[in-house]
Amino acid sequence: MNTEYAIRIRNLVKKFGDFTAVDNISFDVRRGEIFGFLGANGAGKTTAMRILCGLSRPTSGSGTVAGFDICREQEKIKKNIGYMSQKFSLYPDLTVRENIRLFGGIYGLKDRTIREKTEKMLEMLGIRDAGDRFAAELPLGWKQKLSFCIALIHSPQIIFLDEPTGGVDPETRRRFWESIYDTAGNGTTVFVTTHYMDEAEYCDRVSIMVDGRIDAMDSPAGLKKKFSAGNMDEVFRTVAGRAVREE
Amino acid sequence: MWKYLLEKEFKQFFRDPGLPRMALAFPVLMMLVFPFAVSMDIRNINLAAVDNCMSEESSRLIEKCTSSGYFRLVYHGQSADEAMRLMDNNKADAIITIMPGFDRETVSGSGFPVGIKVNTVNGTKGSLGSQYILQCVRSYVGEKNAASGTTVPPAADISEKYYFNPGMDYKLFMIPALIVIAITMITAFLPALNIVSEKEAGTIEQINVTPVSKTAFIACKMIPYWAIAFFILTACLIIAWAVFGYTSRGSVLWLYLFTILDIIVMAGLGLLISNYSSNAQQAMFVIWFFAVIFMLMSGIFTPIASMPQWAQYITYLNPMRYFADAMRAVYLKGSTPAELWYDVAGLAALGSVMVGAAVASYRKTE
Repeated sequence: MNTEYAIRIRNLVKKFGDFTAVDNISFDVRRGEIFGFLGANGAGKTTAMRILCGLSRPTSGSGTVAGFDICREQEKIKKNIGYMSQKFSLYPDLTVRENIRLFGGIYGLKDRTIREKTEKMLEMLGIRDAGDRFAAELPLGWKQKLSFCIALIHSPQIIFLDEPTGGVDPETRRRFWESIYDTAGNGTTVFVTTHYMDEAEYCDRVSIMVDGRIDAMDSPAGLKKKFSAGNMDEVFRTVAGRAVREE
Repeated sequence: MWKYLLEKEFKQFFRDPGLPRMALAFPVLMMLVFPFAVSMDIRNINLAAVDNCMSEESSRLIEKCTSSGYFRLVYHGQSADEAMRLMDNNKADAIITIMPGFDRETVSGSGFPVGIKVNTVNGTKGSLGSQYILQCVRSYVGEKNAASGTTVPPAADISEKYYFNPGMDYKLFMIPALIVIAITMITAFLPALNIVSEKEAGTIEQINVTPVSKTAFIACKMIPYWAIAFFILTACLIIAWAVFGYTSRGSVLWLYLFTILDIIVMAGLGLLISNYSSNAQQAMFVIWFFAVIFMLMSGIFTPIASMPQWAQYITYLNPMRYFADAMRAVYLKGSTPAELWYDVAGLAALGSVMVGAAVASYRKTE
């Protein structure tokens, strides 16, 4: 097991019939890195991420996530990663505490550990009083924080965040990114997709996907230099502007 | 892991606005309404009597028929054409024709000149109608014999004896069958809809990205419905006893045993279908399709032995065939699983195939 890299991907391809959603991508993500995975809608970000999480099988290519093979050891990968999907997918008819308890239990935590973690999480989320409210009733920003915390409940090596801050105000986004920094500071690798270019600036490195390919990959500073752009927004528009594929 | 998954399923079930009420209403409705509605005991058969004798004897025979409560006399006269016209227009279901010499011949014992025609557009009504007429005629003959001491030749010499359900009580016959239908429907539909709704809500993805075992996830989806099916079975048995005074002749334990087997098959089928359905409509339609076939080919409404051979082969794949047969045999006859090994084997075989296929086709990685 290579200890330097959390994710190593080589020549990954995913086809749906004639359509090539992910077209031969290769990249490495170092341990403890915040890796931004950018791209326009339909560029293939979510498809690629689902393969890395073991939710989908690649058509061809190879790679490891947390040291396990993406083609054969999906269930082992799942033990070592956390995943927060674009759409809120905790149980709306369970309370906040019950959701935490369920996922803690699924990841094999002990009852006592779950109870301790629950209190810590509610404290951290600042929603101690909302613990017994149904997940469906929470405001969007809280839902996202809760999903994030639950994805981290088993202290995974890597956490995958698929557009974690869609649809909330800048202040809430900023606070969410503070938690992402805290998490990365604890040694967890963060793999995040986003549409917000200010968020891209926060990443250690970013890749930009266009039509299923990775067309640019570097640190935000490196990319700005390469494309002689003032900010990530300009970089993104230059690179993503090459897309020929319809959404 | 099982503990947490089960806890979740039960909480979600009881929090659902409709499901607990449905589980409660279903057995009540099944037991209190349907035994009456699905009765095959046919009444109000329209009878046309062509009376070519017009004697006291012939009138008495006709009265015998109408007083049985099964017939409604729509015509009494001498015109065979008129009676046929009524049958053509669907106004008469059966025609009884009494020949001119009826009174003389019956009294002298030389013959019994009566003809019966039935309209079999509605087959059940027709065949039962002709049997009822025969019964009336027979009872008329019986009375004559007793009264006069003469021996009138019987219209048909059939000796009937009904075992296990001596009064041919249709309600008693249907109660185990209705329990079968109630349990089968609930245990096929609910787990399937449950999984599909998790697909629609996206919550199943959050589960699929965890290291949860497929068997645990599927089993925890099934177990709550066992509990519900047991509740329904218990409620049905209590209602049958409290309202109709029926109790099972065989051990109630066996009823529960066969119910467990049936649930494994049906929940397995439901889950299998839900794995291949992307939304609730699809799942509903496919399950409904199977449910109808299962019911019609189960032997609940029509005996399997009277189906054509090819259809009989199909029934071997029908879990309801085994379940209905077993439940009726236990409830009405007091049979034991040893005697019903055939049904046990059928359900067990189908169950292992269904559950195996359900677990295999549930994919955590697409």
